[in-house]
Amino acid sequence: MESVKQQANQSQKLMVFVLTMALYGLATLFSELIPKFQVGIVEFSVEYFLFIPLTLAMLFDPMSAALGAATGELVFSEIMLGQFGGLGEVEKFLTVTIGVYVAGRLVRDPANRVMVGIAAITGTALQLFMGTVVDILKVQFAIEDFEAVAGLPESVFATEGFAFLNDLLFSGILFCLLPTLYLAPRLHGKIEPLLGMAPRTPATALEPIGAKAVVGCLIGFAAAIATQMLAESGLSLVDWEAEWAESMPSFATAILIAAALCLVAVLCIRKYAEQNQRG
Amino acid sequence: MKAVDKLSENILDKLSIDFLRNQVLKNAYGNNDTVIAAMDPRILIVWYLFFGLVPWFVSDLPFLLGCFLLVTVTTILARVAGLVLFLFGLGVFSQTGYLLVVTWLFGGDASAIAPLLILTLKVATVSLASVTVFSGMDPDKLASGLMWFGCPEQLSFSISYAYRMLPILMEEFQNVLLSYRLRGAPPAHDDLPGKIKYLIYQVRIIIYAFYPLMLNTAKRSRTTVEVLEIKGYRYAAVNKEVRKLKLSALKVTNNDLLFLSVSFLWVAAAIFVSTML
Repeated sequence: MESVKQQANQSQKLMVFVLTMALYGLATLFSELIPKFQVGIVEFSVEYFLFIPLTLAMLFDPMSAALGAATGELVFSEIMLGQFGGLGEVEKFLTVTIGVYVAGRLVRDPANRVMVGIAAITGTALQLFMGTVVDILKVQFAIEDFEAVAGLPESVFATEGFAFLNDLLFSGILFCLLPTLYLAPRLHGKIEPLLGMAPRTPATALEPIGAKAVVGCLIGFAAAIATQMLAESGLSLVDWEAEWAESMPSFATAILIAAALCLVAVLCIRKYAEQNQRG
Repeated sequence: MKAVDKLSENILDKLSIDFLRNQVLKNAYGNNDTVIAAMDPRILIVWYLFFGLVPWFVSDLPFLLGCFLLVTVTTILARVAGLVLFLFGLGVFSQTGYLLVVTWLFGGDASAIAPLLILTLKVATVSLASVTVFSGMDPDKLASGLMWFGCPEQLSFSISYAYRMLPILMEEFQNVLLSYRLRGAPPAHDDLPGKIKYLIYQVRIIIYAFYPLMLNTAKRSRTTVEVLEIKGYRYAAVNKEVRKLKLSALKVTNNDLLFLSVSFLWVAAAIFVSTML
């Protein structure tokens, strides 16, 4: 029976998804609401509750836990609070998923504290690093003539690089590494029966990360960058359009008239409907 | 000493779970009677797609200003909770205002302001549009709107689930936290080392509280999924009849059309102004 891998059926995957979503969502909801404060230039924030999905990804199916964490953050803290940020959320969704998934796959035996620690800090660093790269690219493409503005490139690299180190050393160790080290071995063997599953052991763990998983992660990261790259192509598109519109102000006038007509039509329909109701 | 006072005041006051719970509940459940909340979710999502995406691609100042003014008005109409607006301001500042200050430190001059102002306007417009739509709309309505557009069933399920589970989860978290506090003896916190110790103690308790919380939530999520299975959730998620039944409550009214055409007129006017200049 050693060859049987830890496999979850569909409803167990859904259980892991719901569990991670609810817990991580709740945690991010709080962390979103607690203001950050700064002492000198070091920023202290309780922003990082990543230990929850990290722990769960090490104990259960990593993919469901990773997706659940990303969805939970999106739904609880972004949508319920109305902080939804459009394109930026795609990037966050993908980087959190990849970071948690990789950490979950790295651990073959959750009782082994060394492995748990390495995986926890690797997953966190991966997620933060991808976020940093995307952030730098985002500023580079959002501002035209990035190089032309004096001091801007250096300042972006400096602030982003510093934020990365700050997050990794402060939030990463205090809120990801230590709690995971505390929770994962402790929950191992206790929480699995509650979902009707067998605990993960070296014999039943999934294979170590193969080429397929690495390629999948790279594609996800590329997609995260691509959503930000959209901005660049969009910029050139609109530049061209603006030039064209300048030569034809009548085009803008046409749009304006069309819009006004739309409004008048809607108002007419409204009046007509009201009269109908009365009559 | 000032920093320490601020530190303990910040963490301890804001960490009062009751305060956070009230703000969150107010935001999620509190404003169902506004103009925005009464609108059709599909129309609002289309509206959001425009104001959430287009500003990223345009660098034209009059157009961005016009969009920004419009979404400011809709945010006022949606009567968003104060804390959310405060966080919005903080977010915009931390994304671009901070950058501006550092640019100056690295020897940039006034020429740095114009591109950063455009970036700030973009960020502000996009986030205010999302605050309007996602904070002003009842999450249940939002879920059915997303479903109409063919979003994965799992997403709209997550939104509805979160909407209903949130108060229960928060209460449970608070109970666990309180029981830990009852059983523990907090360190004295009159002087500086004591205050730091107290802070560490608080954070530790929060992390410890997740241990029973994880076990409890595991049990609960198993129950949830089993109930869903009994009701044929996975079958219903792909069934067309069920979908039709769920979405039959959605209706586009004249108010929605009015909202759309006023927005359209305003944007057209902004484009007109920018070509005239």
